[in-house]
Amino acid sequence: MHTIDKDRPTPEWIAATRKRFEVEREVDRALTYKMEKRTSPPYTKLPLERLVAGVQSLIASQLKTPFEITEAQWLSGGASKLQMAFSLTWDRPGVGRETTRMVLRTDLAESLHATSRLREYQVVKALTGSLPVPPVFWVDNTAEHLPYPGIVYGFVSGVTKPSNAKGNVSGLGTFIPEAVRKQLAPQFVEHLARLHTFDFRQADLSVFDLPKPGSHNAELAVNWWDRVWEEDCDEDVPLMAVASAWLHQNAPPVEQLSIVHGDFRTGNYLFNEADCRINTWLDWELSRIGDRHQDLAWSTSRAFGTYAEDGTTFLVSGLMPEDEFIAAYEKASGLQVDRRSLHYYQVFNAYSMIVMTLATSYRVARNGKSHQDILLAWLLGVGYMLQDEMRDLIEKAS
Amino acid sequence: MQLRPQLQIQTIIKAMMEDVIPALDQSNQLAMQSAQLTIGTLTLLAQHLPLEYRFDCDELARLVDCAQALADQAQGKTRTQAAVDTLAQAQQAGAQVLERARAEPDEIVQAVRALRSATAETVRAVHAEGSGTVQAQVAATVMAMSKAQLLRDRSWLLMQGWEPDPTRVPAIETLLAPIARG
Repeated sequence: MHTIDKDRPTPEWIAATRKRFEVEREVDRALTYKMEKRTSPPYTKLPLERLVAGVQSLIASQLKTPFEITEAQWLSGGASKLQMAFSLTWDRPGVGRETTRMVLRTDLAESLHATSRLREYQVVKALTGSLPVPPVFWVDNTAEHLPYPGIVYGFVSGVTKPSNAKGNVSGLGTFIPEAVRKQLAPQFVEHLARLHTFDFRQADLSVFDLPKPGSHNAELAVNWWDRVWEEDCDEDVPLMAVASAWLHQNAPPVEQLSIVHGDFRTGNYLFNEADCRINTWLDWELSRIGDRHQDLAWSTSRAFGTYAEDGTTFLVSGLMPEDEFIAAYEKASGLQVDRRSLHYYQVFNAYSMIVMTLATSYRVARNGKSHQDILLAWLLGVGYMLQDEMRDLIEKAS
Repeated sequence: MQLRPQLQIQTIIKAMMEDVIPALDQSNQLAMQSAQLTIGTLTLLAQHLPLEYRFDCDELARLVDCAQALADQAQGKTRTQAAVDTLAQAQQAGAQVLERARAEPDEIVQAVRALRSATAETVRAVHAEGSGTVQAQVAATVMAMSKAQLLRDRSWLLMQGWEPDPTRVPAIETLLAPIARG
């Protein structure tokens, strides 16, 4: 049997894979960049000074007045990114001389998500003022200044879960006490509704491609993860072939396009523990212009939820039962939820998460490309629960 | 099963060397020695794991041969005869086990991978070329196989804590079929 050495892909194989799967142009660029860098050395611990020098260079390319970087320190960047906090003393436009606490967020030698920092920059910039998002300042999309592509945000304080909450890694399966979830749940729904009704056509989202009418949106979405599966998976999974076929056969049309966050769940917002106010939404790297049902379905995944105190009521993203969530969303957004589209995107999201865990987590950890290979190897394990969820969803659909 | 000890050990060693040991109090000799021994033990484990089964079979074959030779040589009184009888039984049992132990673990893993790949390709081919009826039949067969396998995969990883309700997943010991029924 002929097997491809995915750790050393040839230019011909990269080109053939690009041709097989139609995806958005910037998604294609980011995935191709990943494959072209695959033979690069494993990740080795970067000295903080290297990141400081990179961010110094990036900011110097953007500012004409003197500035100073101080108080640089590492932050936990989760499974897919490096993060460094620092203070910038500068002449802030419209404000004057001030010291601003900032965060640099960069890719790794290879990340759990091979995505575009420029897309992240554009979408956060577009949503500023409409949704709680961190201030976004500069982007280095092709690692011209930084060791890896990166983005500079303003620092926002807050927590992703109550200090005494239990949960798994990366904010998965976080149990939130009833008193807290009662305050977070309405904001969660309200923010999702606001995101999906945002008029994106007035914003600069030049690196996002608009899908054609009909089912083209779903096709682009599935092709993205089909391609990543092809590029990253080690051992094949027959159920993934069934799922991909099902997703292509059942791709629904989208009647109204929205900005889709792509990872809208507990763990990706920060809130004040004192008053339970959501301060900011993070992790926009999987965002796209597509079908709002993708986000709705994401939030309802079993991977991100927990059971309530009664042990039987499943809480969407650890916050509220699914029926309540859907009803509250429809009321807040004025948009109907199509149960068939919701179901479709539940299958799609499980599919994409399985690709990320079973294929990409494996590939990155095996090649030693991240700062947390041990976390990525651990995350592999969720892929089996997700497969069973996906299998069950496909079975129910037929 | 993609999550295998080789990958886990590799990532543990890296985390120990790059994150944990540099953060330890370097003057704490006990902690430093234990950390180094942890890495050493894991490295040894990684080296042994793929060969452990072969190592044991190799020893078993040698002992079976040796027992045969001893049975021919050992002569004595009652105690020796009893010992030789017990040895003969153990030799026979060992030889039977060895007879059944024909495939190495890695061969089984490779056979699993080859079948996974060929099965997935069959699904893709049928999706590209087959009728709707054939596609549905093939999908149903794969879904049924996956359902049974995924229950075992989930049980295998239960300790990781991904299951919203772990009580609905049976223990792995109750799900795996015995390799050989004597």
